[in-house]
Amino acid sequence: MTSRDIAIRYGFLALLFALIGFFAISAEGFASPQSAVFIFQSVAITGILALGVTATLVVGGFDLSIGSVATSAMMAAAYVMVVLEQNALVAILACLLIGAIVGLINGFLIVYTRVPDLLATLGMMFLLVGLQRIPTEGRSIATGMTMPDGSVANGKFSDAFLALGRHRFDFFIPNLVPVSVVVLIVLALLIWFFLEYTRFGRMMYAVGSNERAAELAGAPVKAYKIWAYVISGIFASIGGILLAARLGRGDIASGNNLLLDSVAAALIGFAVLGAAKPNAFGTAVGALFVGVLLQGLTMMNAPYYTQDFVKGAVLVVALVFTFALSNRGKR
Amino acid sequence: MDFTRRTFTRLTMTLAGATMLGLTPSLAQDKPAPFDNPGNVKIALVRYLSTGDFFQAYLSGVESQAKALGVDLRVFDSRQDAALQADMVDQAIALGVQGIVIQHGLTESMKEAAQRAVDAGIKVVAFDVNVENDKIPQIEQSDRDLARLALEQAVKDNGEAWKAGYVYVAGIAPLDRRNETWVEFKQKYPGINEAAMFGTLDNPIANSVANQARSVLSANPDIKVMFAPYDEFAKGVKIAVDEAGLSKDIKIYSADISTSDIAAMRETDSAWAATAATNPAVVGQVSVRALAMLLAGEDPGHNVIVPPTLITQKDLNDNDIKNMEELSAKMPQFAHADVAMPAWMPNPNK
Amino acid sequence: MAEDAVFRVAGLRKSFGPNQVLGGVDLDLHSGEVVVLMGANGAGKSTLVKIVSGVYRRDGGQMMLAGFDYRPESPAEAMRAGVVTVHQNINDGVVASLDVATNLTLDRLNGAGAPLFLNPRRIRREARAVAERMGLHMSLDAAIPDLSLADRQMVAIARAMAHEPKVLILDEPTSSLSSAEANRLFALIDRLRERGVAILYISHRMSDIRRLADRIVSLRDGQIAGVFADRPLDYEAAVNAMLGQAMGRRTIEPRTATGTVFSAENLKLAEGARPFSLSLGDGEVVAVTGLVGVGKTALAETLFGARRPLGGSMTLKGSVYAPASPGEAIAGGAFLVAKDRSENGIVSDFNVYENMSLPFLRRLSTFGVSRRRAERALARRQIAELGIVCRSERDDMTTLSGGNQQKVMVARWMAQGASLFMLDEPFQGVDIAARHDIAAKLRASAAGRATLIFVTELDEALETADRILVMSEHTIVGEHVNAGIDMDRLLAEVAGQPVRGAA
Repeated sequence: MTSRDIAIRYGFLALLFALIGFFAISAEGFASPQSAVFIFQSVAITGILALGVTATLVVGGFDLSIGSVATSAMMAAAYVMVVLEQNALVAILACLLIGAIVGLINGFLIVYTRVPDLLATLGMMFLLVGLQRIPTEGRSIATGMTMPDGSVANGKFSDAFLALGRHRFDFFIPNLVPVSVVVLIVLALLIWFFLEYTRFGRMMYAVGSNERAAELAGAPVKAYKIWAYVISGIFASIGGILLAARLGRGDIASGNNLLLDSVAAALIGFAVLGAAKPNAFGTAVGALFVGVLLQGLTMMNAPYYTQDFVKGAVLVVALVFTFALSNRGKR
Repeated sequence: MDFTRRTFTRLTMTLAGATMLGLTPSLAQDKPAPFDNPGNVKIALVRYLSTGDFFQAYLSGVESQAKALGVDLRVFDSRQDAALQADMVDQAIALGVQGIVIQHGLTESMKEAAQRAVDAGIKVVAFDVNVENDKIPQIEQSDRDLARLALEQAVKDNGEAWKAGYVYVAGIAPLDRRNETWVEFKQKYPGINEAAMFGTLDNPIANSVANQARSVLSANPDIKVMFAPYDEFAKGVKIAVDEAGLSKDIKIYSADISTSDIAAMRETDSAWAATAATNPAVVGQVSVRALAMLLAGEDPGHNVIVPPTLITQKDLNDNDIKNMEELSAKMPQFAHADVAMPAWMPNPNK
Repeated sequence: MAEDAVFRVAGLRKSFGPNQVLGGVDLDLHSGEVVVLMGANGAGKSTLVKIVSGVYRRDGGQMMLAGFDYRPESPAEAMRAGVVTVHQNINDGVVASLDVATNLTLDRLNGAGAPLFLNPRRIRREARAVAERMGLHMSLDAAIPDLSLADRQMVAIARAMAHEPKVLILDEPTSSLSSAEANRLFALIDRLRERGVAILYISHRMSDIRRLADRIVSLRDGQIAGVFADRPLDYEAAVNAMLGQAMGRRTIEPRTATGTVFSAENLKLAEGARPFSLSLGDGEVVAVTGLVGVGKTALAETLFGARRPLGGSMTLKGSVYAPASPGEAIAGGAFLVAKDRSENGIVSDFNVYENMSLPFLRRLSTFGVSRRRAERALARRQIAELGIVCRSERDDMTTLSGGNQQKVMVARWMAQGASLFMLDEPFQGVDIAARHDIAAKLRASAAGRATLIFVTELDEALETADRILVMSEHTIVGEHVNAGIDMDRLLAEVAGQPVRGAA
């Protein structure tokens, strides 16, 4: 292994550890278990979305609708509980169903009507941003809100649902790890295992690398592609559930920032361990990387626009790692 | 897009025409002309922004005051299209309205349209958009007063010396005006120490601000007061304070209010101590009243300022207020502002 | 014409890491002469071409073009200097998103003096002139993706011709051309030769070499192993020099099948094509030959479930066989090694063993979890079986030579027992040694299945098959047992008319 190979393979991880070291020294309170957990919590939602979009990247696609799927799921959860006065389980199922349906529609549009992935999911993004406003005529949803017909919505977010955003598990220190972090870690392990160790994951990579070869090797290519979008949609809706549980209301939002942050995490993931391809471990590290940076910078009182700048710079560096330094960067 | 907009405009005009035909003249002998015969008075509301709770409430205020006066109101909605909004002023002129309320918009596109309306002998008032015209009264909710009320409450609750976190994003006009007050306050009370300033408009805003606030709290666990002069900011800060388990140690002061804000403020041990807010419905009423004064030949003044109300957690709990309607009903100072209220002016809340 | 070489290479050396690929190559090209460069895969032909055409930088040695030092920094520079290369990979030679006319004139849009604005009529005029000179008969408005591979290749070559090159390098240009198209190309090469262009022609095809070569240079292990210029050219010696061993002329002991494995009744492949029947027996190797575009691949894909026949029925091992997808075909025991391995076979992000286990992952998995240890063991077995040259089963596919990549593709499908084993152009871009390896392996393992290969080169069919079927116009027009074949009749069938065409 040449020093160049080592740089490609471990360069990005080294950068991450260097950053952690730097912040630990220069920002008081950074190096604490609470701070570490909080970094995970701050990236949990974008991280979950990023893992979903990784699945579509693996089959050579892309999903621009994840941000709006997440915010639509958030609105749906609020609507089901506050307006329809249903319990947490119904709300969660409704969200997951929305994610799965949107994924299916995306997949069908791309596979059967041959709309290019970026355009199909872009259309879906706009559609959802509009759709989430229709039931309440553009109002945010909160207990006691006045509905368009003048009635007052009396349902409330159930405690079980809010616990998803507020409960913390004991982990050496009592009340340390929030539910969202546990969900992130579980989903990351699941998708990582799925992509790396199951034949379905392997075939998805084959579809992304050479669709024709995969088809001639007997793979149901269309089904794999549709599944990838369904995974992406479901993951995005899980992100939306956690968002609703944290905010405790349904906010009208396009979710564009969620989309950009999670796509950035997935792309940064290309550079981790010199993979030069979408991968779940890389995506998780990518999300963490952004989280560490933002936590550190905020603790050092950096204004918000420098954070966008830094996020962009990290992404560019990661892409250089992937495409310029690595010969395998064929995508 | 174009189609719907054109359709919408046509629809509005048709509806307005129908309303005009079916109007019955109300009797109000004691009102000055032209309101002695209000059925003949047509006014227009030309909007730039319309989606969202605030704008919905503003419209309801305009409608209720117009109804109380008995005048014929037409609503033009440009849905954030600056050029269309200017065209709509011309449409309103062509329709022969006597008065126009311009609600938001861009100075560049509205200045000349407003001047054309004035030249056509139409009375104009403008809300939250500076059309740079001496003849046009500016309706404002006072952002400086909002910030001042919230901060005065903070000093009252916490004394004159505390460590503060401040949420601010520069470049947003109302936030910039609220910021001026904060700067003055820090000079007036040297004991106030701003330990951290942060903020973002990444949506969902509350979620992004919560993430930032968590970082700030772990860097500065001794912060006592969070000044978040925008309710989305305050909501985010509250989430972070709850998550950090500091809700009994920190107090949040904010501006603006909504139904979900009321719920958040009333949670057990909520850190959200007080907010200062102007009722958007009242702003809508004042806009129409200022226009009506102009039409009656009276002068509402060039700057018509709608004063904010301070709403504390205690107010909400004492009156068991759960939503905006109850807030208006139980806190009369929030439901009505004694601005642009000559004796003859009907009060829509009565 | 001239005694002095117009292009001269001396002591050219190139290494990739510790691997020396070229170890001091000398080569002279003269005006008006066709030099054929022969070499097994991995001998260094491609590297030599890439250095000459400015893709790679040389490590040592000299290159002289018309008496001046020649040191191309980029393919564009080589082209401007007058050294034009038509690469083996056809899609490198054409821009898929542009029409034929624009492709033919594309290179004039770059470089100094190129006009700022496009004049479509001028482009069309110039393109027509190029097309006429080349004898191209396709529409100039046609989009590249609508063209057959052969037509794309013609466009790529025509485009290169437009440069009026001093030196023209053709890297296996006929590998996807029909014999009529190849003849057109040969005629053009003759004309260029008369005009004084120095031509370096790289090919495995003996028919091309016999037709064109003025001189043969054999390359082995990065060094010149022999130069043959005396008339008549000693082709056998050239092959021997390239392989480093005397290859005996291979003949087949045709075997007769024992019982039918696969049969098709009244199979109709295309509108207007005559339906045909077909029967394949256990243990026999059958070759389907015919020109490019006569429906060989259509037949392969039909038998593999990748396309539906317009009529007819099929039987595999006694039961009705109507696969709706390759997946069903594989489940039924019909395997296909597809042609154009880089497009249809290789997953370039995967290493050797991942490529091999691709179709059979289900069998190599427990509850959906793939057993990598089993995959690797299987791959190691297959690597040994087929003599694949690689460091380990975890090598990237891109590090393997073309012949070894093809062996991986064959090994992929031989890892499991098939009832019907099909190979479409299995010897495409494969050197003679690898070709013999693959053919021998196919014959040795033929028992227990029907083997069907689809080849355009008659030599390949004659070397491999017990029985040869000839296709023309999407139907089978002739059948020969591979012993004492009536070549005149066979060639007439291939040509689709009683005229001698291909050889």
